[in-house]
Amino acid sequence: MDPFALIWWIVLLPLGGALVQALFGGAVVRGLGPQNGKKVMGFLAVLPVALSFLLGVAVLQAHLEAGAGTERTVVLAPWIDLAALKVDFAARVDSLSLLMVLVVTGVGALIHLYATGYMAEDRDYTRFFTYMNLFVVYMLVLVTADNLPLLFVGWEGVGLCSYLLIGFWYRDLANAKAANKAFIVNRIGDWGFMLGMFLILVCIAASVPEAQTDGRWLDFGFILPRAATYLADRPELATAIALLLFVGACGKSAQFPLYFWLPDAMAGPTPVSALIHAATMVTAGVYLVSRMHIFYVLSPVASAVVASVGAFTALFAALVAFGQTDIKKVLAYSTVSQLGFMFIACGAGVYWAGMFHVATHAFFKALLFLGSGAVIYAMAHNQDLRNYGNLRKYLPITCWTMFLGYLAIAGVPPLAGFYSKEAILGGALASRHAAASVAVWAGWIGLLTAALTAAYMTRLTVLTFFSGEERWRRLQPAHAHDGHHGHGTEMAVHPEDHSHSAHAPHDHEDPHGFFYTDEELAARAEPEEHHHELEASHEPKEAPPSMTFPLVVLALLSVVGGWGLQHWAGLQEFLQYPGVQLLPKGTIQEHPHGVPLMALSIGAAALGILYGWIVYRRGLPAKEGFDESAWHPFRRWAGRQFGYDDLVVHTGVQGGDLVAKSLWKGFDAGVIDGIANGLGVLACGLGRGLKAIQTGFVRSYALLMLAGAVALLAYMVAVLTRIGGGN
Amino acid sequence: MEGIWGAGVAQLAPTQVGGPMLLFAVLAAVAVASGVGVVAFNSPVRSALCLIANFLSLALLYFTLGAEMLGIIQVVVYTGAIMVLFLFVLMLLNLAAPGALRESRDLRRLGAGALAAALFVLVVVQAVLPLQEAASPQAADYYGTPMALGRALFTEYVWPFELASVLLLVGIVGSILLAKRRV
Amino acid sequence: MGEVRSLMAPLWMYLALGAFLFATGVVGVVSRRNPIVIFMCIELMLNSVNLTFLSLARFAPWLPVAHELEPKAWMGGPAAVIFVMAVAAAEVAVGLGIIMAIFRLRDEVDVDEMNLLRG
Repeated sequence: MDPFALIWWIVLLPLGGALVQALFGGAVVRGLGPQNGKKVMGFLAVLPVALSFLLGVAVLQAHLEAGAGTERTVVLAPWIDLAALKVDFAARVDSLSLLMVLVVTGVGALIHLYATGYMAEDRDYTRFFTYMNLFVVYMLVLVTADNLPLLFVGWEGVGLCSYLLIGFWYRDLANAKAANKAFIVNRIGDWGFMLGMFLILVCIAASVPEAQTDGRWLDFGFILPRAATYLADRPELATAIALLLFVGACGKSAQFPLYFWLPDAMAGPTPVSALIHAATMVTAGVYLVSRMHIFYVLSPVASAVVASVGAFTALFAALVAFGQTDIKKVLAYSTVSQLGFMFIACGAGVYWAGMFHVATHAFFKALLFLGSGAVIYAMAHNQDLRNYGNLRKYLPITCWTMFLGYLAIAGVPPLAGFYSKEAILGGALASRHAAASVAVWAGWIGLLTAALTAAYMTRLTVLTFFSGEERWRRLQPAHAHDGHHGHGTEMAVHPEDHSHSAHAPHDHEDPHGFFYTDEELAARAEPEEHHHELEASHEPKEAPPSMTFPLVVLALLSVVGGWGLQHWAGLQEFLQYPGVQLLPKGTIQEHPHGVPLMALSIGAAALGILYGWIVYRRGLPAKEGFDESAWHPFRRWAGRQFGYDDLVVHTGVQGGDLVAKSLWKGFDAGVIDGIANGLGVLACGLGRGLKAIQTGFVRSYALLMLAGAVALLAYMVAVLTRIGGGN
Repeated sequence: MEGIWGAGVAQLAPTQVGGPMLLFAVLAAVAVASGVGVVAFNSPVRSALCLIANFLSLALLYFTLGAEMLGIIQVVVYTGAIMVLFLFVLMLLNLAAPGALRESRDLRRLGAGALAAALFVLVVVQAVLPLQEAASPQAADYYGTPMALGRALFTEYVWPFELASVLLLVGIVGSILLAKRRV
Repeated sequence: MGEVRSLMAPLWMYLALGAFLFATGVVGVVSRRNPIVIFMCIELMLNSVNLTFLSLARFAPWLPVAHELEPKAWMGGPAAVIFVMAVAAAEVAVGLGIIMAIFRLRDEVDVDEMNLLRG
């Protein structure tokens, strides 16, 4: 059988998994009992993803044999079949999509395995895996789509699953709000994406001679080869399309100004954070830009924008990470920062480096998140860094795997992160792109950010594992910092979020009682499972093998992945998008593998690690303790995201509220109801006026009749006879 | 009104001021005076008596017109039946006393007067003045006889005739119903 | 018959008389408050109309009708008079019955007081 047809099996197997989980999960768990039932369903959840990975390897082999630079399309079924537009369920098999397929299914399978251990005591076990498998399906649709509408289906689908999974523990209102936030901000990005797609349709459809096409305007096979010719003399159109698509990418990949949903998304379970918000969904934006790279190449302005936004976001997020005390939030901002790196690469024109970093980032970021999940699991679901310390003694596997991941993200050779970061920075600094100066600046900012990355990751690692004192022993009994949430929240005690939930409905805004009050919510929030809070006498225990095995595998990948991929000669050829060769030479340049660059990047990493070690090796400094007023003002400001989240939420939410209220009261109630009621009042008024004639006096009626008769007669005399011509 | 008469008589040369004209003048005067009397008298009985005088004078006018049958019917039906009915009701309701009902003076009277005057002027201008030359009767002499009337009623106007009889039946039934006491 | 003809006045005099009586009746209908007197004024108006019909019948030219038995005159006039009389008779009977019923109920007859149909 044609090995490339397997691509649709790869995409649809997890869909079968999701259906099995949804339809049979509850019955199996009830029938076999929670222990065995969950084991069965867990196995059935990991199986499809793992199978998809193996099939992906098979397809990769076939692809490499056929030639790494080739591409082919496998059509499953027609979708839209009109004379003016034809879109199919078509999968594209080329190097870019295969890379993403392997990353998604491989890392995804490991994370599913991890989740079987992490979520083992959760009541909604099967619901979780339904959503996870569904997410994998949509992500695969996104990366294998051969046309923009199908890509958008996957795009929307991963947004949906992200919403479902962030708000998995929905009984806590704060989680639901975080899920809403993620989805709504994504929507803003989707708006940009859709406008870009429509613009492509209009521009290219408008300029193609009829004879050349059969309506497949939105297929990649159609757009990408032809875009250069059709837009060559209209760079502003290319700029518009590129920028609109980039808006979509910003929303999905959490770039400034649409990044602020990602830290709140840490409210979801840790496997979700690992899979969606580290390894796969957030890289969809980078994938999109790489796929549609032709528009960015044609428009230096757009490339410059991409590079500068990426650079700014990287720096911004790195600074904010210094002010975070929740382990997952540090990793979240780290993700935002690393995504900025990927966009620096895209803006500089070295798309292959961006995709390289996608792969390596998936390895070490998933590792870091899963490791942090193990730490949280061991520390009774307490996520505050300030309560950790010396966990090397209790959690050896977690510690050393996370250590490897930390080295990878810090850019220490020869681990994975070093190679990909060097590729990006080198490509940016050596860029002779049309927007080269911006790319060079972006490269230097990236270098600075690399140093900062090493610093805050050192902070996290040292405070968690290597500082001497076991700080949770200092806890007062029943002083668990975020205890009053029960199991419901896995997010840190961020004062921001409490203020939001506390401002939930007041009576004067909710006259019909549609919303629960805070008291009702508290009464309804059943304690999910009974966890003992973190106490001074707590003894952390290592996670079960289902959780540590993926950690080990990912650590291995972090170590050898970069080196292996870099030195595999076919890598650059593999990652280089085929269409790029069609452009004239000289617009894209490989980076020089020269010594000065390596020295710069290693030096930056070393600087960061040194700083972190010096400051934190003796444990938590007094100026960073639980009392936030003792913090350095810059750190406190960084902890609040430099006020950005407050700004956006207050202006956006309250501004929107204001607009909606004024429209409601001013326009709907005032004008429209006014018109409707006014018509009634008018009718009443008319009636009242005419009522005056109904006096009840017979004689008045008789008089009126007489008057009417006389008038009629006069009219007949005066007019009609004149017209009639008689007398 | 005297003026109109006078004017009319002066203008029409062929008209002879003789016996017929004198007869008409007398009858018309009685009719006018009694008509005004119907409206003007406070006492309803006096109005009724004026109306009787009006009817009788009109009956005589019908005779001058050559419609003898109708003149007799006028006397028998109108004065004999209808006016008697009026007088009976006046007696039964005891409204004969002059002070029983004071008429009010109000704007309606003025309005009515003005409109009636306008009506009169309109009709005169439209109907009367153009027909001033019509002095010779065209109808057959015997048009007012019972035979002629009967012929017309039973041939050309048979439908209204039948409907009028139904109407009279309805009137009988209605008045009986109205007069019944609630049982 | 010949002498009867010579008792006639010109048409326009009859018409003028009819118009005057009609106007007088109208004034009476509107301005009197006693319903019986109003009725009488209505009868006055109807009679004036009768007079007009008859005089016009007398003086109008004859138009041939289908039935040869018809007299050679416009018989619509006298026929109308017959019908007006019939209608007036029925109307008086019913109307006076109504007045009697109202009087039995309210013990007064004043048209101005009967304004229950006011809006």
